[in-house]
Amino acid sequence: MKRLLFAVALVALAGAVTAALGVAAPWGGARADRGARAGAATKLPPLPAEVAQRKRWKIGVKCDSPPFGYINRQNKVAGFDVDVAKRFAELSFGKRTRVSFTCVTTPSRIPALQRKDVDIIISTLTWTSAREEIIDYSYPYYNATGRLLVPNNSSIRRLTDLRGKKIATTRGSIYDRYIGNCFGSATKVLTDSPVGALENLRSGRADVFMYDDTFLLGVAANDPNLKMTTHKFLAVPYGIGIRKGEPATKRWVDAAIRQMKRKDEFWAILRRNSPRQFWRFFLTNVPRPKTKEAYPRGRVPENECPS
Amino acid sequence: MTNRLPEWAQPVVDYIIHVGLKNTLIIASTSVVLSVVIGVVLGTLLTLDARLVRSAVRLYIEIWRGLPIIVTIFLLYFALPTVSDELHFPALDLDPMRAAILGLALWGSAQIAEATRGAVQSIPREQHEAAAALGFGWVGRHTYVILPQAFRRLLPPLVGLCVGVIQNSTLASIIGVPEVLETAQRSANRLAVPTVDPATLSIEGGDSHALEIYLFVFFLFFVISFPLTRLAAYLERRLH
Amino acid sequence: MTVFAAFDWQYIWDHRQVLAEGLKVTLELAAIGIAGSFVIGLVLGACRAYRIPVISQLAGVYVELIRNTPILVQIFLIAYGLPRLTKTLQFDFFFVACLALIIWGGAFNTENFRAGFEAVPKRYREAAFALGFSRIQTFLNISLPIGGRIALPSSLNTYVSVFKNTALMTAISVEELTNVAKQSIDLDFRTWEMILVLAVTYLTLVWLLSILIRLLERRLALPEAA
Repeated sequence: MKRLLFAVALVALAGAVTAALGVAAPWGGARADRGARAGAATKLPPLPAEVAQRKRWKIGVKCDSPPFGYINRQNKVAGFDVDVAKRFAELSFGKRTRVSFTCVTTPSRIPALQRKDVDIIISTLTWTSAREEIIDYSYPYYNATGRLLVPNNSSIRRLTDLRGKKIATTRGSIYDRYIGNCFGSATKVLTDSPVGALENLRSGRADVFMYDDTFLLGVAANDPNLKMTTHKFLAVPYGIGIRKGEPATKRWVDAAIRQMKRKDEFWAILRRNSPRQFWRFFLTNVPRPKTKEAYPRGRVPENECPS
Repeated sequence: MTNRLPEWAQPVVDYIIHVGLKNTLIIASTSVVLSVVIGVVLGTLLTLDARLVRSAVRLYIEIWRGLPIIVTIFLLYFALPTVSDELHFPALDLDPMRAAILGLALWGSAQIAEATRGAVQSIPREQHEAAAALGFGWVGRHTYVILPQAFRRLLPPLVGLCVGVIQNSTLASIIGVPEVLETAQRSANRLAVPTVDPATLSIEGGDSHALEIYLFVFFLFFVISFPLTRLAAYLERRLH
Repeated sequence: MTVFAAFDWQYIWDHRQVLAEGLKVTLELAAIGIAGSFVIGLVLGACRAYRIPVISQLAGVYVELIRNTPILVQIFLIAYGLPRLTKTLQFDFFFVACLALIIWGGAFNTENFRAGFEAVPKRYREAAFALGFSRIQTFLNISLPIGGRIALPSSLNTYVSVFKNTALMTAISVEELTNVAKQSIDLDFRTWEMILVLAVTYLTLVWLLSILIRLLERRLALPEAA
């Protein structure tokens, strides 16, 4: 009995110690990423004081949303958003490793920003006017367009075919509200992650999956049972989320995005994260030297229903 | 044996074990320790004659035992940080890991408090009186005489609590803590969608392995919990 | 104190309809989960207590598997794992939620009822057999009323847990109370308002249920146990 008590006490103690050591940094930082240290900077505005002092960015990214942010088979965080973050680190400190990533989820990303867990969030954050009331958005860095993914034998061809159907999408997304506003007779099948929505389509719990083209295209190309319809709708850009009242951060991030756009770096990042056969579909999805992007301020795109 | 795993599975197993299991154990052990410390103190207070103290502790127990743990975690993670600035109390800005640990500890301490009350009350009155006669004060009486005896009775619920906390630590996945279930979900999500491996530029994934991954997690928890529930049953039998 | 001062009762009032619908789903899930786990617990508990061959062993494995794994993992396994096995195992999420609650509650209840039936003194059953009761009659007239009452407190606790577990269905997008509240937090960031609604609703229901349980326990307590 005594020995048992001792063992229990020992385990408890060991647990407490590991915890004390481990809790502090459960997510770890980014690992070295060999390769380009190209063009350190044309002149960018001064870094936000806290970042400059820390000599490191703290950035919230998705870990469940390939190809934007996910855990790759080396168990490192990877994807389009992650590459943008690494480029920010490079532009700031000359090293792609000078950034610590925090995994955020759709519901946790804005709270994580507000509680200062991170400096900014690069996390597939679609612009909405409600969100813009509580956080600031950077210059848009990605143009997502809505598409429909259906099984090969589906009768759904266009948006008007959606009446009375079961539509999968992610919770709280612009599509969530679009379906609610414009397809009242349809049933929403909501999940937190787009992959959950995909599983719902694959397993027949939903008739159609409405989501960003970038995600759907990769899926459609890989799954012989699924196809995309040709319809495009709801082009609303993603932005980087910045805390309100931090103009220095917004100035720097906007300038960095514009510089990357001028040098066509988003296109390079997209090509790194998307299979070659899709590149041609994404020509207009990223900011490029001659494109213009803007948030639909003053409009409510999710209220503009197809006729 | 690990060599025979299919090609996709090795990184998944590594991730779930090295990152997920590690965090699950950190969450579970920390919240068990917190639960026991808080719970034993509160449970002992419950045996006091002071009515006000008893009601206060009772309220604590009924609240944290009554709420679904996920609601407690939402309260800690989503609601508290919104007032941290105004209360000038930045410690309220809990990160997901701490929010999960604290949420489990609130629940666990309520369980332990209740068990402690029962255990302390099972110690015959004479023990209290004898210790008092020897000149022990209330604290000394409990520290040296009553609680050590009560601990025997406390052991089965304590092991039971470990099992409960380990299982409920999966709730942390809902706020994104990379414990076992969350790492499994991330792996399943990556594999379900084709992605480009930056090193080789080859495309991988696109096929769901949800069944294999969640089955693995299922049995991983079983292997951890089963010996503990056996131990709890054994300790319970020894009492009688 | 702007957050406290800005606490918006009107926001709660404006959302009363969605919240009520969420609560309705929560209560439906709980009712189905509790009824299902009662039936499973009763049947399998009896099979365990009276060592019905094969079924008893299978039930034993079922109980251990479920009690030693997190319900959230069980939910994911049913929701996303099973459909990969065969297409006939694709259920909509409400059904998945019910199934998970019943399977989980059933396992715990099997143990509760087994313990209850096993606690019925052997001599009662022997007496019944001596009076010419068949096995079924003995079970219905002796073991069930006595063992059922012995099992009552622990099985009622299981039902409270089943009720609380409905909140986990948030993870698979069932539109129950917690999910509905979380969705409006995600959209409008009125966190305190919604958390307050959740806390008050769950505590009220759990406390009511506990009071009910204590009353019931007292009414159904065996005379000699009192």
